[in-house]
Amino acid sequence: MSADGDAPTSVGLSSPRIDGAEKAGGKAKYADDLSAPDMLYGAIATSPIPAGRILGYDLSEARAVPGVVAVLTAEDLPQRRVGSFVKDETTLARGRVRYVGEPVAAVAAETREAAELAAQLVLVDYEETPAVCSLDEALAADAPRVHPEQADYARQGDAAAEGNVFWSAEIVEGDPDAAWAECDVVVEEVYETPAQYHAYMEPCSALVEPDLGGRFTVRSAAQSIFYLQGRISEELDLPMARIRCVAPRIGGGFGGKNGVNVQPIAVALARVAERPVKITLSRSQDIEMLRSRHPARIRMKTGAKADGTLVAREAELWFDAGAYVDESPAVMSFGLLCSRGPYRCPNVRVRGHAVYTNKLKAGSFRGFGNPQATFASESQLDALARRLGLDGLALRRRNAMAPGDHWLGGQRVDACAMRECLDALEARMAAEVPALPPPEEGWARGVGVSGLSHISGLMGTSAAVNLRSDGTVALSTGVVDIGQGSDTVLPQICAEALRLPPEAVAYAAQDTDSSPYNWKTAASRITYTAGRAVMQATVEMRQRILEHAAELLECGVGDLELAPGGAVRIAGSDRSVSFREVAARAFNRIGGPIMGQHAFAFDGPRFDPKRAAMSNFAFDNLGVYVFGAVGLVADVDRETGKIVVQKVWSAHDIGRAVNPQSAEGQVQGAVVQGLGYALLEELIWEDGRLANPSFMDYKIPDGLDAPAAITPILVEDAPEETGPFGAKGVGEAGIVGVAPALANAVADAVGVRLTRIPMTSERVLDAIEGRASEAPASRTA
Amino acid sequence: MDHAMRFAEPDSIEEVLSLLAADPEARCLAGGATLVAMMNAGLTAPSLLVSLRKLPGLASIDPQADGAVRVGAMARHATVAAHDGFAGAQAILAAAARRIGHPAIRTMGTIGGSISHADPSADYPTAITAADAVVEIAGPEGARAVPADEFFVDWLETALAPGEIVTGVVVPPDATDAAVHYEKFTRADGDFATVAAAACVALAEDGAVAALRVAAGGVAPTPIRRREAEAALIGRPLTEDGLAALGAALADLSDPIDDMRGSADYRRRLLPRIVGRAVRRAAAAFTARSGARSGTGPQAGGVA
Amino acid sequence: MTAELDEDALVPLRVTVNGRAQALACGGGETLLTLLRERLGLTGAKRGCNQGLCGACTVLLDGQPVRACLTVAATCADRRVETAEGLLRGARLSPVQQALVDGGAVQCGFCTPGMTMALTALLRAEPRPDAARVREALSGHLCRCTGYVKIVEAALAAAEAQAQKGADGAAAGDADARAEGAAP
Repeated sequence: MSADGDAPTSVGLSSPRIDGAEKAGGKAKYADDLSAPDMLYGAIATSPIPAGRILGYDLSEARAVPGVVAVLTAEDLPQRRVGSFVKDETTLARGRVRYVGEPVAAVAAETREAAELAAQLVLVDYEETPAVCSLDEALAADAPRVHPEQADYARQGDAAAEGNVFWSAEIVEGDPDAAWAECDVVVEEVYETPAQYHAYMEPCSALVEPDLGGRFTVRSAAQSIFYLQGRISEELDLPMARIRCVAPRIGGGFGGKNGVNVQPIAVALARVAERPVKITLSRSQDIEMLRSRHPARIRMKTGAKADGTLVAREAELWFDAGAYVDESPAVMSFGLLCSRGPYRCPNVRVRGHAVYTNKLKAGSFRGFGNPQATFASESQLDALARRLGLDGLALRRRNAMAPGDHWLGGQRVDACAMRECLDALEARMAAEVPALPPPEEGWARGVGVSGLSHISGLMGTSAAVNLRSDGTVALSTGVVDIGQGSDTVLPQICAEALRLPPEAVAYAAQDTDSSPYNWKTAASRITYTAGRAVMQATVEMRQRILEHAAELLECGVGDLELAPGGAVRIAGSDRSVSFREVAARAFNRIGGPIMGQHAFAFDGPRFDPKRAAMSNFAFDNLGVYVFGAVGLVADVDRETGKIVVQKVWSAHDIGRAVNPQSAEGQVQGAVVQGLGYALLEELIWEDGRLANPSFMDYKIPDGLDAPAAITPILVEDAPEETGPFGAKGVGEAGIVGVAPALANAVADAVGVRLTRIPMTSERVLDAIEGRASEAPASRTA
Repeated sequence: MDHAMRFAEPDSIEEVLSLLAADPEARCLAGGATLVAMMNAGLTAPSLLVSLRKLPGLASIDPQADGAVRVGAMARHATVAAHDGFAGAQAILAAAARRIGHPAIRTMGTIGGSISHADPSADYPTAITAADAVVEIAGPEGARAVPADEFFVDWLETALAPGEIVTGVVVPPDATDAAVHYEKFTRADGDFATVAAAACVALAEDGAVAALRVAAGGVAPTPIRRREAEAALIGRPLTEDGLAALGAALADLSDPIDDMRGSADYRRRLLPRIVGRAVRRAAAAFTARSGARSGTGPQAGGVA
Repeated sequence: MTAELDEDALVPLRVTVNGRAQALACGGGETLLTLLRERLGLTGAKRGCNQGLCGACTVLLDGQPVRACLTVAATCADRRVETAEGLLRGARLSPVQQALVDGGAVQCGFCTPGMTMALTALLRAEPRPDAARVREALSGHLCRCTGYVKIVEAALAAAEAQAQKGADGAAAGDADARAEGAAP
């Protein structure tokens, strides 16, 4: 090795966010912060009823509002339905409305006030039809159909659609029917989880600018510029060449900005008005119109030997998908895939159903079906441990997956630090739990743990890098930073591969005109997949740098090594050339910069049909798995049912932390979002209408609700060989085990197990006092 | 639609009243925390906003000759929360003000705005009811004063007649020098109360209850009190049975609703528990204070 | 939007924003947030809920944190408004802003300007708050990204840095350093 050793120049350093200064200084521009000369304001008229036929429109009053330039309905848009799995959606409701808040008409006007007034004055003649606003209503034998025309939709596969169930899937391994006889103990329970709202702090917004050549530039709150471009193209029948999507700063997404929101409507308005249009949703509209996490009901059964060895698991999952399919087959399928958890269990049957209801769409949300499944699975493991008189961590360790084991579905897992995470969690908690001050009088303290796991991967991505004439580096990818930190982490990976400090890499803003393709900021995939593309592109460029350097130094490429700070030298000597000299030579010799580029889609182990029978599964292959364990201490007020979480420890098999501070921030944020899910957050429908579409009624944790101490534990014992510098993703994992860990802590504290979240104080008190809860998830008159 | 909304900021109460009298669609603007939120949500669109900011004497907190304290209608929550001139039961106003919303809301919101809105889950209505405060009102027919428990008429409804405004709240002196506690149970930090209780307690040398006032909020269309149930505890040591009787009496009067903060049933169950906490904590504060003053203190500060 | 305002309803308004005296006219019901964002182009204050419930629009009015979305602009006559942009000295961040960046307390950044203003007010009033005071000052400021831990740590680091700088500055007779933390 070289004299200066292997000290990293970039990876492993907690570099401050590249975008931090402009954000803290109030200068960062999010979509609603932008405007354009001659810009119009857009507003959207939405359905006031959960189900009904559209018989006609009267737009005269809306058009008569002074300042109104355009009013659109579905009749003005291309006659096509869109959707990734089932083509059941239109840009504006056509023929029918299927949930309260569904876009029906759109207005562009000179002022926001005029646009909003006109939207209110759009008169739609509805014939109201019976609605189904819960799983029970949707699954009833004679339930009204949310999509009577379902059979006519174009779709992927047949997916066992029946009634309002539009997708059923199954995974079977081993012989679960026979296995129950081998079990010494069996537990079975039904678990229920709520519709959680993403509550990104930036409401959805889009600014669309048409040019005279018929092109539209879209700056909007979205987790992908390329998916957006494709979807606008499909919805509005515009060639992609006429749609340019540019990422401004994005104020959080968590899956909620994964699909399109207001962009196609804004483009449609701009197209008609031939002027720029901005639409920014109010918070209430954002809640009522867009997406939530899937509410779920899960029946689960687990059997084990007396020593805690898992023998069999069965589960049936019902995911309430709302009015349109969107990504539900994938979310539900992924929930199935996570229903065994990160444990060995030879006999498994899991079956899942995604169900239409007359509610807003359920879509992707941090965890993507996994938090629901893991709430059931990890609650059940705890119940099992109690029945067997075993320690919860010991039971999990006994069954934990190890490198070389196979995930449910048969995919081999090469890198896995599940046991190390359990060990690390146990060590920290053993040292720190006893040191906590005792609970207040009248409060009972409980300790709860949960294992967790998630995917990191999925779909395609690419990167391009070139060496500028001064020896610095220009990197570009199509990855949108929604706040998770890719604008900082991806340049760090590039810099490390060249032994440069992070600031030597200039990272390009994302623009479909110039950025290499990336699917979405989703699936905890960016550090792993885009990081890998960046790494490979940089390695390709590095090889060319070495080739040029070899000619300059008149030696073989094999004699060379990179020196820190942007130079190539002959190993073991002081003869070197700088990147600047190499770059200058390249501009002379090849007429331009030295470049590298790489495209990547996960190419690792796949599902194995010899191990598992899978039907209607919505994925082909996924990515690598990440593992972890979370523990917490919670106090429960026996008189009121209030839960206060005192401290949380969250251990993560991260492979390698590219930016530890950033990774910690992901974990801490996910833990608090998970505590909101576990304790507080639930969209509630009354008579088909959302009853709490505001931060007044829908509460998310603030800094006093959140625990003061959240300790991330980054476990780097199992580098992912296929990831950049051993890294894999951590964006979602932190939320996955929080709710079950808390349910387990409550069971520990007061001896009752809640099988339904959120564990509101009312539900907890009902459980403590042995009452059937009156707190409703949905009420119908 | 704010394009037609007018704004006035008079410097005399007479002018305020005449503007209100001239335009039934006009609304007074105090701190704005509630009114502007409603305007932003499209729930109300006054034709005219009459800002009370420049009215003299409305923002101050002034001691009166008889020991009462007059809190001007435009006194901010943060000002009341930090005010150290309250004595005895008067301090329940400061205790409640400290629990309203969040810091930026407390720098904006005013006591006049809060009580005029008359949300029974808000903090001031309960506190001023417990303190036996009197609401000062100015209107076209002249000034009048209405006791707190007559001021709150129904859910979001007060004794204010059209054209009238609250100018202040007069908190009477407390000869018993009670200690206070405001107990607020919420779903989440800064929320309105699911159930709240304001307690003012004084104890005798022997530990018996010398004075007791308790109001509960969030459990009925207005704050509620049961004076006869309070009186029943006077002269005896504070016991769990006594507290339970007080809680039960309040529960009888309660008429809670189901909403996002909890079901009516849950509120009914919480009510006696929150009341018990408020009274016990006020009593403990009284004992601690007496102990600090005299070095000894009543024998039985806690609950027997 | 200004263009269509009813002329009769316009209220003349003199207000000092980030140290600069402004003579404007605003609608009677126009909020300070709309005035800042749409009339003055100061988009640091964010519209997260328009109901005073998220804290993203928090600015300082005469040094006190208020929700710009709930503040009627016309009531700001002859008063002093500070926004996140106003804390900058050229391209240099204020100590609070710098601490948030360095401490990993900025993720999506949408809540950050509001948090910055609440913390700025706190540190001016209480140069050495403890963690509990910081959490209290930040209550009502929603953040969905960070879990709040690093924001609180950054605030404490800013207080520490300010105290250190104040001590160093005092020793060196550096009045400028002391002025960093003081209200203008």
